[in-house]
Amino acid sequence: MRHAYIAKQRDEHGRKAVAVLPVHYPKELFTALDLLAVEMWGPPGAPVSADAGRVQAYVCAVVRNALAFLASGRADACEAVLFPHTCDSIQGLATLVTDFGGWSKPSFVFQHPRGGPRPSSRAYYLSELGSLADGLAGLAGRPLEPEKLREAVRLHRRIDAARAALLDGRRRLALDDVELYRLLRRGEWLWPEDHLAELEAATARLGPSDVQRGAPVLITGYVPEPGTLFEVLCDAGAFVVADDYAAVGRRVVRPPAALDLADPFHALAELYWAAPPCPTRASDQVGRMRYLAELYRRSGAAGVIVHEQKFCEPELFDVAAVKKTFAGLGAKLLYLEGELETELSGQATTRLEAFVEMIAATARVA
Amino acid sequence: MSRSIGRRIEFEVAGRVVGPALAAFERAKKLARRRGPGRPGKKSSPFGPPLEATRKLKELMTTHYLAGRYADGAVPVAWVTSGFPVEILRPLGYHAVYPENHAALCSVQRVVPELSDAVEKEGYARDLCSYARTDLGSVLTGKTPVGRLPKPDLLCCCTNICQTVLYWYRALAAHFGVPLFVLDTPYVYGQAPGHHRTYVRAQLEELVGIAERVAGKRVEPDELEAVVRVARDGTRLWGECLAQSRARPAPWTGFDGFFHIAPIVTLRGTEACNAYYRMLRDELAHRVARGVGGIRDERHRLLWDNLPVWFDVRGMSTLLAERGFNFVCTSYTNAWAEAGSRIDPADPIGSAVLAYTHIILNQDLPNRLDILRRLSRDYSVDGAVLHSDRSCKPYSIGQIDLKQRLARELDIKVLVLEADHGDPRAYSVEQGEGRLTAFMESFA
Amino acid sequence: MSRAVAIGVDVGSTTCKGVAIDADGAIVAHRVEPTHPRIEEQTTRVVAALEQELGTSGLPVGSTGYGRKRVARARALTEITCHARGAYKLVGTAGVLVDMGGQDTKVIRIGKGGDVADFAMNDKCAAGTGRFLEVILGRLQVRFEDVAALVKSATRAVPVSSTCTVFAESEVISLVAQGEPLEGIVRGLHQSLASRVAALAGRELDGEVLMSGGVALNAAMVDALASALRRPVRVLPTPQLVGAIGAALSVV
Ligand code: SF4
Ligand code: SF4
Repeated sequence: MRHAYIAKQRDEHGRKAVAVLPVHYPKELFTALDLLAVEMWGPPGAPVSADAGRVQAYVCAVVRNALAFLASGRADACEAVLFPHTCDSIQGLATLVTDFGGWSKPSFVFQHPRGGPRPSSRAYYLSELGSLADGLAGLAGRPLEPEKLREAVRLHRRIDAARAALLDGRRRLALDDVELYRLLRRGEWLWPEDHLAELEAATARLGPSDVQRGAPVLITGYVPEPGTLFEVLCDAGAFVVADDYAAVGRRVVRPPAALDLADPFHALAELYWAAPPCPTRASDQVGRMRYLAELYRRSGAAGVIVHEQKFCEPELFDVAAVKKTFAGLGAKLLYLEGELETELSGQATTRLEAFVEMIAATARVA
Repeated sequence: MSRSIGRRIEFEVAGRVVGPALAAFERAKKLARRRGPGRPGKKSSPFGPPLEATRKLKELMTTHYLAGRYADGAVPVAWVTSGFPVEILRPLGYHAVYPENHAALCSVQRVVPELSDAVEKEGYARDLCSYARTDLGSVLTGKTPVGRLPKPDLLCCCTNICQTVLYWYRALAAHFGVPLFVLDTPYVYGQAPGHHRTYVRAQLEELVGIAERVAGKRVEPDELEAVVRVARDGTRLWGECLAQSRARPAPWTGFDGFFHIAPIVTLRGTEACNAYYRMLRDELAHRVARGVGGIRDERHRLLWDNLPVWFDVRGMSTLLAERGFNFVCTSYTNAWAEAGSRIDPADPIGSAVLAYTHIILNQDLPNRLDILRRLSRDYSVDGAVLHSDRSCKPYSIGQIDLKQRLARELDIKVLVLEADHGDPRAYSVEQGEGRLTAFMESFA
Repeated sequence: MSRAVAIGVDVGSTTCKGVAIDADGAIVAHRVEPTHPRIEEQTTRVVAALEQELGTSGLPVGSTGYGRKRVARARALTEITCHARGAYKLVGTAGVLVDMGGQDTKVIRIGKGGDVADFAMNDKCAAGTGRFLEVILGRLQVRFEDVAALVKSATRAVPVSSTCTVFAESEVISLVAQGEPLEGIVRGLHQSLASRVAALAGRELDGEVLMSGGVALNAAMVDALASALRRPVRVLPTPQLVGAIGAALSVV
């Protein structure tokens, strides 16, 4: 499906596709240059080629699968690849696959600042944006026009607004989790305007009053794979009321009311610091815990699911603090760890179901 | 924060008087024990005569940790990562604690499982770097083989070794409620672009301001220059110590180097550090002149890549030495010598930008291959062991490709050995020794 | 004999258990069989046999265990909820239940009203489960019935540091080769496993510690767990039927 879509985008609109590794990157630059960003979260399942053996078993499945995928030639529909500097493993992948074989087309890196909100970080972020913009403009074969970038920033704000409306109005939304996540995740590879159209169609299904009946849960973690997780949740009688997945909720920016677009690069920098806290961007831990506690309170969740990828350093280092935060709020919490399986294991299914049984019981008591 | 005079006196006394005395006492105890009834039936050692300098090393490190017990309240205390430009803190009188070095010590003393268990219960996964788990465990339980670690006033973390330190220090910052300074050194693919250098420079200037504020003192340019000079000299001296092993036989083992690296990591920029390495270098040079080897019968020379397996350094080096194998160079100990060429006292900040960005772990794989190639040639090795360190992803990713390239280009034998630098539970001694033995047999 | 009001079926990976209970929650009939691959047929047969034995039919059925969704006309609930309910029925107070089976180990905190206050399960490797012990004892050729006596006879425990089954296996073999006493090694193994379970249980243990599951029949493991948790451990009566009782209670 994606392949056909990428081909169509190229043939009908002249848009080159660029494969993008997780998590955060300035997508507006792509849109403004008519480049189609196609994100690679693995992909899930068994690695597609023997190149997976070029990294040790203790490297996360996202990097292992991406290495196998790139080296197998299956990403060749893309003209370039972008490695955001998310973690040591993606950093290693970036040099491994481009310098030692597997990917010979152009590649870019985007290294966001880790020093916190200091003047140096802001100045650097702007210069790093500029450097990526130059690289992408070279790939696109045209200069980046400020007005087109402004347009792109506006378009992506509408996408964010629609995503925020769906997530924040979750209880009133007549979609189940399986449908909702499928929709949200199509944004990882659809042309932004196409994605926006789907999102806006979905906002029409936001009703005036609550339609979700199950036990509401807050979910935080890396990436919602496997999707069958939502089937299990749904069957067990629960639904996601608040999302803090790195792949989903943490990429929905609720920008300051008046975003100054005079200099679109400054606007992008502004948005970068307005995004929800994420350990892959080195957000302050105390601030992140405050954010999660607030999300929990505001959403009225009856329980918390923490869903991580094995060996994922940035995420796993926060788990102890996350557990402590929610224990302090008296919230029930379930910890799940996966390796990009395509199906939930029997054991994980049991744990999810038991968790829903547990929170449903206390919700009744309350 | 208040610092008292009384505390300051305790700190000075501990560092200057009690530490050396205690170390001497420990030594006397050991000697007395050794002079006791000989152990019959014990095989003769495959190693050369022990290094004289080792005694001084113990004294130096004992003193450092002992003074540390009294440092908080006496002087400003910073916890710093191994790749942090500590030179900037020294003129301000900071006592620097190196959690990585402390964690290595914990591993040698085999207390990692206990400390790690404590944080695993809190939710830290066992898949995370064992240095971080050890340190956080020590913070949580207050347990440490060095008696006590002083509380930090400032946390200093540089991303030039990994991003793990960043997550780890974020957790420390949340725990201690003290400022965290992250020196972010963008990873170098090929060449570091100009705007990356500008960025690192700007941060170093911010660091000066923050470190001054915490210490309540200003950095005097001439003092900074002096410290940087001492640091540069220390780094060069360390390089000279390592270079002695180009001789055949190598006068010490690469695994000795793992222990003797402690001063350049933790005391870089101090005179004590340099005095120590002068002494060590002279002793090694003397051994070279007399043809004394680190092992008795050096038949094969190897390169080691990645961190040591701290808890089994002794076991491994004995296994190898018994069969005439010596690790004559390691990319790990070499890393602290490489920086020396870039440090320039005339331009402390500007040269720190270059020196601290161009660290082996902050550069791409072609650069890594270059270093391994260069070491292999300079030290005339016949083989290499790449320690695939479960705990350290930045150092380990790429080793499988590096193995093939090294073996092919240099026509040497290369083994990738799965282990862990800190946690004995992640390593099977039996399997490891089996692999190493099979590797050594392949040289026959 | 009092009248049966409900049936509970617990389909585990090795055994299939069925119980019928009366209005007080007491067992009036039960059966235990090895699990058959055709779970639907087997459980239908077990239910029918229980009903026939009691001369009744059409009792409500609750099911649990990994095969719970394949039990005809049953309300399915997870083992966790059912174990908590079953244990609460048996002891009547809040507490912490450690259920150690072959495939997984669970620690369930039972609240004041018999609800699940919290639970933890081992991760997917066999490290914290009965399987770990089984594999290594098999390797050492120690029979299950001899384990308790063997461990008792050990004067000291030989520490086994690896918790991964594969590593532990080779570690144990080399300990044997080094001439360490077998009973000491077996005791060390129990300690290692118990500390793993203790880690799963965490620090705060409110109320009595209860134990169920097949491993609860190994007295040496119960002792090791008690010392790892530093508190007494009470083994529930009919430890392997606790889940089935809870399943039956859920449809009363
Ligand atoms: S899962 Fe974690 S470790 Fe792996 S690529 Fe993503 S952020 Fe990096
Ligand atoms: S061992 Fe590796 S991951 Fe751990 S702190 Fe050092 S460089 Fe970072």
